[in-house]
Amino acid sequence: METFNTFADRMKNIGVMNYLKISLQHALYLLHHGMLKDAKRNLSEAETWRHGENTSSREILINLIQAYKGLLQYYTWSKKKMELSKLDKDDYAYNAVAQDVFNHSWKTSANISALIKIPGVWDPFVKSYVEMLEFYGDRDGAQEVLTNYAYDEKFPSNPNAHIYLYNFLKRQKAPRSKLISVLKILYQIVPSHKLMLEFHTLLRKSEKEEHRKLGLEVLFGVLDFAGCTKNITAWKYLAKYLKNILMGNHLAWVQEEWNSRKNWWPGFHFSYFWAKSDWKEDTALACEKAFVAGLLLGKGCRYFRYILKQDHQILGKKIKRMKRSVKKYSIVNPRL
Amino acid sequence: MDFPGSLRPALFMTGPLGLSDVPDLSFMCSWQDALTLPEAQPQNSENGALHVTKDLLWEPATPGPLPMLPPLIDPWDPGLTARDLLFRGGYRYRRRPRVVLDVTEQISRFLWDHGDVAFAPLGKLMLENFKLEGTASRTKKKTVVSVKKLLQDLGGHQPWGCPWAYLSNRQRRFSILGGPILGTSVASHLAELLHEELVLRWEQLLLDEACTGGALAWVPGRTPQFGQLVYPAGGALDRLHFQEVVLTPGDSPQFLGNPGRIQLQGPVRQVVTCTVQGESKALIYTFLPHWLTCYLTPDPFHPSSALLAVRSDYHCAVWKFGKQWQPTLLQAMQVEKGATGISLSPHLPGELAICSRSGAVCLWSPEDGLQQIYKDPETLVFRESSSWRWADFTAHPRLLTVGDRTGVKMLDTQGPPGCGLLLFRLGAEASCQKGERVLLTQYLGHSSPKCLPPTLHLVCTQFSLYLVDERLPLVPMLKWNHGLPSPLLLARLLPPPRPSCVQPLLLGGQGGQLQLLHLAGEGASVPRLAGPPQSLPSRTDSLPAFPLLEPKIQWRLQERLKAPTIGLAAVVPPLPSAPTPGLVLFQLSAAGDVFYQQLRPQVDSSLRRDAGPPGDTQPDCHAPTASWTSQDTAGCSQWLKALLKVPLAPPVWTAPTFTHRQLLGSRELRREEEEGQRLGVLRKAMAQGRLLLQRDLGSLPAAEPPPAPESGPEDKLSERLGEAWAGRGAAWWERQQGRTSEPGRQTRRPKRRTQLSSSFSLSGHVDPSEDTSPRHSPEWPPADALPLPPVTPPSQELTPDVCTQGVPSGRRQMLRDYMAKLPPQRDTPGCAATPPSSQASSIRATRSQQHTPVLSGSQPLRKKPRMGF
Repeated sequence: METFNTFADRMKNIGVMNYLKISLQHALYLLHHGMLKDAKRNLSEAETWRHGENTSSREILINLIQAYKGLLQYYTWSKKKMELSKLDKDDYAYNAVAQDVFNHSWKTSANISALIKIPGVWDPFVKSYVEMLEFYGDRDGAQEVLTNYAYDEKFPSNPNAHIYLYNFLKRQKAPRSKLISVLKILYQIVPSHKLMLEFHTLLRKSEKEEHRKLGLEVLFGVLDFAGCTKNITAWKYLAKYLKNILMGNHLAWVQEEWNSRKNWWPGFHFSYFWAKSDWKEDTALACEKAFVAGLLLGKGCRYFRYILKQDHQILGKKIKRMKRSVKKYSIVNPRL
Repeated sequence: MDFPGSLRPALFMTGPLGLSDVPDLSFMCSWQDALTLPEAQPQNSENGALHVTKDLLWEPATPGPLPMLPPLIDPWDPGLTARDLLFRGGYRYRRRPRVVLDVTEQISRFLWDHGDVAFAPLGKLMLENFKLEGTASRTKKKTVVSVKKLLQDLGGHQPWGCPWAYLSNRQRRFSILGGPILGTSVASHLAELLHEELVLRWEQLLLDEACTGGALAWVPGRTPQFGQLVYPAGGALDRLHFQEVVLTPGDSPQFLGNPGRIQLQGPVRQVVTCTVQGESKALIYTFLPHWLTCYLTPDPFHPSSALLAVRSDYHCAVWKFGKQWQPTLLQAMQVEKGATGISLSPHLPGELAICSRSGAVCLWSPEDGLQQIYKDPETLVFRESSSWRWADFTAHPRLLTVGDRTGVKMLDTQGPPGCGLLLFRLGAEASCQKGERVLLTQYLGHSSPKCLPPTLHLVCTQFSLYLVDERLPLVPMLKWNHGLPSPLLLARLLPPPRPSCVQPLLLGGQGGQLQLLHLAGEGASVPRLAGPPQSLPSRTDSLPAFPLLEPKIQWRLQERLKAPTIGLAAVVPPLPSAPTPGLVLFQLSAAGDVFYQQLRPQVDSSLRRDAGPPGDTQPDCHAPTASWTSQDTAGCSQWLKALLKVPLAPPVWTAPTFTHRQLLGSRELRREEEEGQRLGVLRKAMAQGRLLLQRDLGSLPAAEPPPAPESGPEDKLSERLGEAWAGRGAAWWERQQGRTSEPGRQTRRPKRRTQLSSSFSLSGHVDPSEDTSPRHSPEWPPADALPLPPVTPPSQELTPDVCTQGVPSGRRQMLRDYMAKLPPQRDTPGCAATPPSSQASSIRATRSQQHTPVLSGSQPLRKKPRMGF
């Protein structure tokens, strides 16, 4: 460690032009090794560095250094906050700690707020900044920061920005329509995110027809992805929702979604191989999938047939019910 | 799917490559600080990270890869090297040294080696103006030149200017006739084409993109111990081999029997295999360590079929390994503009994507056949001349990535054509350097989903490696400078050695360098490098395993080992008994050799963790612990023995032999024939190994007989003594006196020297004593170039010194001075002032020289000073 410190110091002297960068690296290294105080001192030193031309590159670096310093301050702050939460209000130490916590605040916010205006991915900074703002009750300020972070076009389309905003709004108990609009954007960016299931439940409860249609789309969208094929919740939702929709006479919705998938979902989800392996691994999943398969492909579907053939004591009843529903609602064989 | 809860800070700037105003913050995602900051996950992150880095380093079991299969009998030639094309002299005055292609040298070589190509068309154009046969032209046409005469004339041609060219009308006529054709237009056109070709070759030498992706694949067999290596073999790499291999725990992999072969019509450039879901998940299991597979009862999960896709320059084909584990051809396709990449879908059995140089990407599936989903001859981000394209799959089965040298784009195959989202672009977004280009893109979703999210894509450039998540386009999740000296064209994501969620990523440079990275990023954490990168030994490192060789063979072996790597495959062999899993790497070289390298997890890797400062991202040198066993060296020497039996590659092109039979007269013909016969006899004698006899040599002894020992003064003394003894001393003296006056052989050498110097210094006034035999030696054409034999003897007999024979040297000087004062007489030969005898000799000398076309001797005085050339 000492060797590294001397090395970094020497590097700073040799590469004066890159002083800031090296300082930052040094600080990150110290952080990584848990030497927060040294890192902080290092960052403070770097922060005041003024040498050479005032380029935009240098400004960004200084911002970044300040932000990291802010992050460190946030860290001590959150530690103190934890202490505070452990203490009783009546405790004599409470006031002192609380005082400390409050003093920290504005320095940090100044440090971080400059950086997060520059386009980039600043997840840890935004997160901690918002937490502090929230703590001090500056909700509007926090929302503004998050909205900017999510909707500014100069920023990359960072899914986390939308997730943070959604979570914030959820904490604030924002109206459902607002939540839906945030998640709608997230849906466009990352249709495979796990929040999509939450989105689906929101949409399902919505009165608007359009939303309920979107709810179906979202479920299909999630299951399109290779990483979500085993998501039993998604399958469960889909099975239930499909049945509801078909019962509600919205066959056209299902067909619309199915049309673009009918030539590859059977091979992707409902192959014989999958029937076998799903049954072996997770019978509940297999059942849900079989139900969906039956609804979408008809009772002749291999996946469906394979699951039907297995007799399972506990699931027997369920399978029977499934069989009946498929007969009744399958889109392949519309009830004439 | 989980998305990382908190991404690593990164600056997002749009702009071109090498934007200097943007600080390069990519260091922030290098491995040292990659471990999450203590803020995000206060306590456990540190410990977790420590734990992870423990057991992820691999160490090679041998210091270098070993040959797996005996070398094939097809000869191999390393082909063109950079040294062949470069300007060797180098511009000294250039401040910055740069690569200069030596076009002049290449042109001259081209003219020598491919004279037929370079000159035949010209000859055809001029055919009617030349007469190939017959004696002197009797035709009235002035536009016809006799080639025979011309060749004779040209025989006297000198490279440094041709002082007597005006003498030959034929040559003049030839230049008038040929001028328009032989003029600069043809030559410059040729030079242009050659230059173009050279540039092409040079580019190819810098980056041979043909084998991007790799031409070696491992097809898992029915049982985990067995598998097949699929690779191209043969001199032209046009034979697909299926070699069955057994992996035994603790032992090197063994091959079984002879490989199955399929002869193809073009060189194989890429081989891709994919295990289809039982008839996609099987894939996952085959890549898991065996003990895990065993635990899961392997049989139903083990693949019952696999797909194999092969790309050649202009063809693509898919095979399926069926129940009998025999490949059956599913489809073969012709790609008119040339195929650059092929990839198999990890999701749907049988689906594959092909991209061609025309910029089109096609999707092929067994049901729907071929459909074009994208076409754009332009590159994605900025204009770039390369027509290399690449296509791969994504986590969504209906989304494809299309890559070229400038970026990577995601396409929806079902959406309207042309729409898509840029996943990666070379620019300020990823803080790319100037001149950086994409070399390889690969979807990393084929791996076990528990370790890395199935949405990651690997993008490799000459300098760096990027991991991009398709859910967050344009911002690389990880950037790392790989530092490989050769283009990185091969990458394989390997299964984790243990379910500890660190996946090794194997990178292979074309020059044979191998690097192993360790990727971690399970669940909701950001993908990161979990440990220091490791460099694995390359094939050249196994040179010490071979026995000591003589330099030439050593060189050949070295060359063979240095052949570019064109394929890479890795297997986790089943080791039910062994406590730790192993890893076997297979490499295929351009020479067609398959090498293997065994790796085992390193035991003590904890000490490396604090080893380097963050600036030091240099790969660790490979572990020095491994050493060669006698078995390894035995295997190597056996392989070498087989290698030495492989015939050397014949030269790529040999100069055609031109025949002059029709052009040259009977005399030359006969001479040639004689020479040919003689050579034949000589060869025969050499082949039989018998002694050479005089009759074998025929009329060979044209060479001067070895000089007889010159009689020194001692001999003279003994001769004189002998004579005197016999009483003929006086007579001998008289004779001796007479002989010294004659120019003997002894005096010839010194005279030549003076003659040379005089020929440079003057010719206006001539030293009479050195006038007559002068001209023939310096500019005498080589004897065999002249149709007539050189006439030296008479001029030598004619003693030049006859004229000054009786004149003492003092008087000679006087004579010279006198002559210098005379007014210059144009028509009088230089020797006019000398006594008549010398005049006669000079006349005779000129007459003797008139036989030859070298006629300058006749008018020595009018000859211009020869300093000019």
